[in-house]
Amino acid sequence: MIALGLSCAVFALGLYGVLSRRDLIGVLVSVELMLGAGGILLAAAGAASGATSGAVQSIALMVLLLAAAEAAVGLSLLLALHRRSGRTRVDELSEVSG
Amino acid sequence: MSAQTAGLGVAIALVALGAVGAVLLREVMRVLISLGVFLFGVAAVYAYLGYPFLAVAQVFVYVGGVLVLMVFAVMTARRDRSERPAFVSRHDVGSAAIAAGTGAMLFLGLRPLFQDAGFARSSAVSDLAQELLGPRLLAFEAGGVLLLAALIAVAAALRGGEDR
Repeated sequence: MIALGLSCAVFALGLYGVLSRRDLIGVLVSVELMLGAGGILLAAAGAASGATSGAVQSIALMVLLLAAAEAAVGLSLLLALHRRSGRTRVDELSEVSG
Repeated sequence: MSAQTAGLGVAIALVALGAVGAVLLREVMRVLISLGVFLFGVAAVYAYLGYPFLAVAQVFVYVGGVLVLMVFAVMTARRDRSERPAFVSRHDVGSAAIAAGTGAMLFLGLRPLFQDAGFARSSAVSDLAQELLGPRLLAFEAGGVLLLAALIAVAAALRGGEDR
């Protein structure tokens, strides 16, 4: 139950960061918080349900892998945006708005 | 207080402090340090729940990889303006209300699944190997293909071009 409360609180904090931050690095960090909360929830649910350790760890590893790929692609897009326009704030990026 | 309870308290404190700092601090290097504290805390929670391999992978992949990548990105794309403080606009208050409502809804919805506190039945790494090379082999290989695709996407996004 403690792990559930912790992961829900961290998920909510991450969601607040995604909604309120203007800086792309801040948004990416907030997304990482949400993924971390999901990882805690997954591990705690696996432990509480009595699932095998191998099953829980393999699924959590997949989440870890997805998060690493997301961070790499997100940061490369940030660098590409910075090289192209010199801006990294989401409210200043309007090239695709038509 | 037992050592296990103290360890859990430290892990929860690391997670909570790191998460709050990562969201509410505005100076970007402090945000990244807070993210590092949060990630170490998550690894400690994994270890407490009985998943030591996951804890080590978390430290290697996130603290050793993703966090260093973020620091490098910040050093390359240096910000010229600091963010405004938190909770100064109606948009921030609305965001906080949406986030709190979502968190509460998740907690209330998932609470029936967590009636019994539990720990992993076994922490042997051989269980993980059997799982990854057995029933989840396809997902394991698909994960490798996904990482390769991400690598190609990064190279394509950063290919050519001069710094502005």
